[in-house]
Amino acid sequence: MICCKECIDLLHDYFEGALDQETKNSLEEHFQDCPPCIAFLNTYKSTTTLCRETLNQIEIPDEVRRALQNFLKEHKIQQKKM
Amino acid sequence: MSFTQQKEDKEIEEALVRDLQAGNLEAYDRIAELYQKKIYALSFNLMRNQMDAQDVTQEVLLTLFRKINTFQGKSAFSSWVYRITLNASYMKLRNKKKEPNISIDELLPSFNGAGFQQEKIQDWSENTESLLFTNETREVIKKAVDLLPEKEKVVFLLRDVEGLSTEKVSEILDLTVPAVKSRLHRARLFLRKKLSGYFEEYNSQKGGK
Repeated sequence: MICCKECIDLLHDYFEGALDQETKNSLEEHFQDCPPCIAFLNTYKSTTTLCRETLNQIEIPDEVRRALQNFLKEHKIQQKKM
Repeated sequence: MSFTQQKEDKEIEEALVRDLQAGNLEAYDRIAELYQKKIYALSFNLMRNQMDAQDVTQEVLLTLFRKINTFQGKSAFSSWVYRITLNASYMKLRNKKKEPNISIDELLPSFNGAGFQQEKIQDWSENTESLLFTNETREVIKKAVDLLPEKEKVVFLLRDVEGLSTEKVSEILDLTVPAVKSRLHRARLFLRKKLSGYFEEYNSQKGGK
């Protein structure tokens, strides 16, 4: 049976669905007998979701959007003069 | 994203690049519209400062227009945009005083001689829903990400936050696929550990009430 260390090393590929069937089976066998690794698996997954949902919400603030528009406008005027 | 969608995106991108290389000023607006949010979000997540992210976004847009003739199409145009964004953000960060990074190894899981976990692992994953949208939780998460060492942080932002594929990230950063995977895994382990401290404390307070 694989140990916790090997189990945690495999988590990335496990979530990607990149493990071969045999490795996947032995990982899932380990989970059945190891509540700490299930807790680890769940919190590893949650961490990714929480961080993604917090950080991918970033929108350009209105004042920055306006500044960028003006910047582009000026740049285009300069280009036309050239 | 479906294969047809990817193909369409690629065609739109290639047409824009051709227009831009031909000096078509209309293409400026379309490029800005398509990419400014990606540029701003990535640089903001790296620097966590609105003014700096605005500066970087302007600089990157300008670089795209000025250097478009050096773009040879060896990689995807979007990869080129991400690379320029990363370089501009790092230049900006270099001029600022940096807090020392913590070593990631100290926060990786520890095992005994037989390879079994030594720490007590609490499963806090069930209780995060109600917490997710509180400002405190968001701040804790942002701080934890800010503490990631640069090498791991950039992989984490591109892969988990931007949602790019492992292959795309390896193209942008010029890393091998296994290197991207290993950095991403280390970043997640680091963040899990950081967030565990917060959620375990929250759960124990709640339990004690």
